[in-house]
Amino acid sequence: MDFKLTEEQELIRANMREFCEKYVDPVAVEIDENSRYPAEIIAKLAEMDWMGMPYPQEYGGAGLNYLTYTMVIEELSRSCAATGFTLSCHIGLASGPIYNFGNEEQKQKYLTPLCQGEHIGAFALTEPGAGTDVGAGSTTAVLDGDEYILNGTKTFTSNGPVADTFVVFAITDKTQSAARGMSAFIVPKDAPGFKVGEHFYKMGIRASQTSEIILNDCRIPKENLLGKEGQGFRIAMQTLDNGRIGVAAQAIGIAQAALDESISYSKERIQFGKPISKNQAIQWMLADMATDIAAARFLTYNAAYLKDQGLPYTKDASMAKLFAAEMASRHASKAVQIHGGYGYIKGFKVERLMRDAKITEIYEGTSEAQRMVIAANLLR
Amino acid sequence: MFKISLNIIACFKWVVDHEDIKVNPETNELVLDRAGYRISDYDRFAIEEAVALSEQYGGSTTAVTVGFPAAKKSLKDALARGPEKAIFINDPAFANLEPSQTAAILAQSINNQEFDLIICGEGSGDLYAQQVGPRLAEHLNIPCASFVRKITIEGRELIAERRVDEGIEIISMPLPALVTVLPEINSPRVPGLKDTLAASKKPVVEITGSDLEETVPCLETVEIKATTMERNCEKFDANEDDLKRFVEVLLRAGVID
Repeated sequence: MDFKLTEEQELIRANMREFCEKYVDPVAVEIDENSRYPAEIIAKLAEMDWMGMPYPQEYGGAGLNYLTYTMVIEELSRSCAATGFTLSCHIGLASGPIYNFGNEEQKQKYLTPLCQGEHIGAFALTEPGAGTDVGAGSTTAVLDGDEYILNGTKTFTSNGPVADTFVVFAITDKTQSAARGMSAFIVPKDAPGFKVGEHFYKMGIRASQTSEIILNDCRIPKENLLGKEGQGFRIAMQTLDNGRIGVAAQAIGIAQAALDESISYSKERIQFGKPISKNQAIQWMLADMATDIAAARFLTYNAAYLKDQGLPYTKDASMAKLFAAEMASRHASKAVQIHGGYGYIKGFKVERLMRDAKITEIYEGTSEAQRMVIAANLLR
Repeated sequence: MFKISLNIIACFKWVVDHEDIKVNPETNELVLDRAGYRISDYDRFAIEEAVALSEQYGGSTTAVTVGFPAAKKSLKDALARGPEKAIFINDPAFANLEPSQTAAILAQSINNQEFDLIICGEGSGDLYAQQVGPRLAEHLNIPCASFVRKITIEGRELIAERRVDEGIEIISMPLPALVTVLPEINSPRVPGLKDTLAASKKPVVEITGSDLEETVPCLETVEIKATTMERNCEKFDANEDDLKRFVEVLLRAGVID
């Protein structure tokens, strides 16, 4: 297998780096500090056609393959994981199910403005009592004439406070198991009975906005059902498979930034009359970081490649996400260690990286959930 | 703003990425074997200005580079930044040209092109000789303005603001003309994703060394070494002995004589 970048992929990656240097790096510390949504960066991403990268041009996308998309998320996350995740949530979690399961009318109406960046997307699956146990959700949707009425509360909805279009999961048939009784809906933010609830202030990826979503007799047209009734669980699982590749890319970006910072700092920091990079203890940490990053990259690019080829990739996406997330956390912590006291101070990038890395082990399926998926694939 | 349709040529050079240049601490020689290449930073301002002017006044921009075969990678990058087409003057022998040769090669290649304006960066990101622009203008027998920080077109006149030692000089010259631009002239755009994808479909005209008259170098490069900056710290008090010592140190360092 050959993941040598094409000339075009190299240029796309370089352009995203240039974008980051001009628009993201200058504000990354401030948006983290203030938990501020970087609306101006998102507007620039939209202006420069990044918001619908992997979707066809007829819907306003750029028609990139998933492998290239993965590299772009990695590059953006190297500068700011919160912005990287805001974009991958918009593209992978929100636009993804509309592209994969929506009908033509839904794609024209909802996917096109998402790809053009006129609308921001969110994915509302998790509930207070239903995290990893997706099937324990209690949000309901009942058909009433030409409308569905949704009731329930979603939590930890990424992009919740800033999104225009939500993909919401609700039980439509209580007599069935979650796998058959759950459905997916497209809910615009101006639907009657829709409200953004409490905003969450997080340990890391603080510029990414997260909130509750409250559905109180929320009425949407029945044509906003995504796919068929009862298909919701499948839509959620397939969307998470895609999303996990994005989270793995985000984790690699964080780890790469941790390595970049560590190399640069260890060459400049003089202790005992020499740069600390001359110490074997530091060299081994750097070597382990680089090795794990390379391994995570191969796993992740492989999952993206399989998806691009139309081959099964559920297990591979879980392996990529599991390994990339855990190595990012481990190495962001090592990067702080290399920086010593300075690494513990606000404003040093590695302090932010360590906080940002942790979430990659949790959202879009915890590391434990990934092990469940991998094991289930091995043992079936 | 009335449209006058300008044919603009933006010259650029594919140079070693200065961030990748390492120095061998023992020999002080530059280590370039793992260095990447990029469009010279100064030339990004030239490309941006050409594209911005053709957007403002109407017309089109052609990006031109002289280089060795590996510089082909630069073409998509340049085209993603807005020019409609590119000319690649390519030969393995063009790896280490000196400015007089580059200017002569550009002149031969540009001579049969229609153009109103040629824009170059003030100097290249590697040698920064600041010669190619003025020499090219001389070859083509057109007026040249260097150190330009603002360009306005009025009919067939180009009005240029130049940053000179004494301040800002405003000059005008007839088109066709050549300007070399300073970084302060604009803020180069970052190519969007669709600009990058569209770059592959834009036309590239390739000219090889065999299409051109041979140029002869007039310089000999003996060696290239990294600059060294030595810093010494000595403390002085305001007493007579220390003042004498202060003068001695300055004499010894050659700061005064």
